[in-house]
Amino acid sequence: MDIAGRSDVGRVRGNNEDSFKLLPELNLFVLSDGMGGEAHGEVASALAVDTIVSHCQQALKNPGLPMEGEPRPDLTEKSNRLLSAVRLANRAIFEQSQADTNQRGMGATVVAIWVDGERLCVAHVGDSRVYLLRAGDLQQLTEDHSLVAEQVRRGIITRQQADQSKNQSVLLRALGIEETVDADAAEHVLIDGDAVLLCSDGLDRMVTDPEIASAILTNTGAQPAVDRLIELALENGGEDNVTVFLMRVQKVHDGFLLRLWRWLNGPLQQ
Amino acid sequence: MKLVLKFEEKMLKEVALSDRPITIGRGPDNDIHIDNLAISTHHAKIYKDAGRVIIEDLNSLNGTFMNNQRITKSFLKIGDKILIGKHHILLDDTISGEAPAAGPKITAPKIQETVMLDAKARKALLDQALAAQAAGGAAAPAAPASRTGGTAVQAPVPPRVKVPTLAVISGKTDQPEYQLTSKLIVIGKSDMANIKLKGWFKPKVAAQITKRDDGFYIGKGDRVPSINGVPIGSPTRLNEGDIIEVAGVKLNFTFRD
Repeated sequence: MDIAGRSDVGRVRGNNEDSFKLLPELNLFVLSDGMGGEAHGEVASALAVDTIVSHCQQALKNPGLPMEGEPRPDLTEKSNRLLSAVRLANRAIFEQSQADTNQRGMGATVVAIWVDGERLCVAHVGDSRVYLLRAGDLQQLTEDHSLVAEQVRRGIITRQQADQSKNQSVLLRALGIEETVDADAAEHVLIDGDAVLLCSDGLDRMVTDPEIASAILTNTGAQPAVDRLIELALENGGEDNVTVFLMRVQKVHDGFLLRLWRWLNGPLQQ
Repeated sequence: MKLVLKFEEKMLKEVALSDRPITIGRGPDNDIHIDNLAISTHHAKIYKDAGRVIIEDLNSLNGTFMNNQRITKSFLKIGDKILIGKHHILLDDTISGEAPAAGPKITAPKIQETVMLDAKARKALLDQALAAQAAGGAAAPAAPASRTGGTAVQAPVPPRVKVPTLAVISGKTDQPEYQLTSKLIVIGKSDMANIKLKGWFKPKVAAQITKRDDGFYIGKGDRVPSINGVPIGSPTRLNEGDIIEVAGVKLNFTFRD
């Protein structure tokens, strides 16, 4: 697995409200975009990533650690743990903002992935995104919890109208606004050659999907691709903080039959 | 004395402070009108009382901050930093010129401050969006406060939902048909595949179907799928009645009521 992550304040903002944490030893990667007056966005996003990472780490030591909220029967233990961590992050931000009137109203988006062999667990809230680049095709795996995305889903406005809407920054779901949050979680299978991208809206508002795909395809390593994506966001205006994480899947553990198949095929194909 | 409105160190507006109270809010009737959803319709007011300047929060949702403290009512001095949403207001004692009676609308920068909606605001906004849809309007609804009464719009009748479905015509799979409900639908032998292929030597991911704004697209995995007998090049949109063939299975794509 080849991974890289980077955050940049951008060219307009005075402070960076994004936070991210990479735990390659656990294959756990978390990115959050905070919001709120003064420096409270940073507080919210840092609290989100710290809470998620620590809940997942604790669960590895103590698998009986209580889950936050109802586990979903259609998800594996690991995805449910990630979902639980996101819900817990919501509670942590909400409680801190309730306890300190200065921090009231702070919130954050989050995207978190946990890779378990060939299984990709994804959990998210808000408009930060997870993309999958497979066979040259870039696909967003998450649905933005924003007003404009909801309007597009309902067929009220087109994607082009959404990109020009003044309501682009209105989120329908975020961490820390209410006591509980409706977080999305999903599982996907990874295959050799996949690239998984996590980003804050400072990337996808500045850089088009084809530009993103091309930057990943033309830079073989994860780090040069991440550097190029940040550079593109800045070249196109850098109007917001931009955080990018990229994971290239080089080798996913193969099943016995597939290995046998390859071995049997090997001499024939030469 | 005058009030200076700033955003990210950029000066946006100056308003002279006379004996009349100055109101700040998202509503267009305010003296300082800030078109941003983080600002309440009538957010705060600043007025003179016995020679002193007072700032009062008008029970706003996101609060009025003075020198990083949330306030409800406070004396305002030169040098105090007022924060409303992401906009700063400063009191300035230099002589000001004529205050514009109705200043130009303040336009927010391209990327606005992100606003989060609580359950109540979310419902109001979505209801409004749906009402706009029912009224036949394709335009995006404006911010909630700009709804200016008028005729009440009837609750829209939800459109009949057509569920995209793949029916298995031939080949071994774990189900006879599948409803396409997620963003990424994998066809393959993997335990996590949505459409599980059975039998020996099937690829883990033969192909995948992705949901986009304008429909469902099928793309390559370890195999190149065919649509109606023609192998695809790039991801291809599925149309009603299409026959997909990949890794020894044949599937029929339809929208069901």
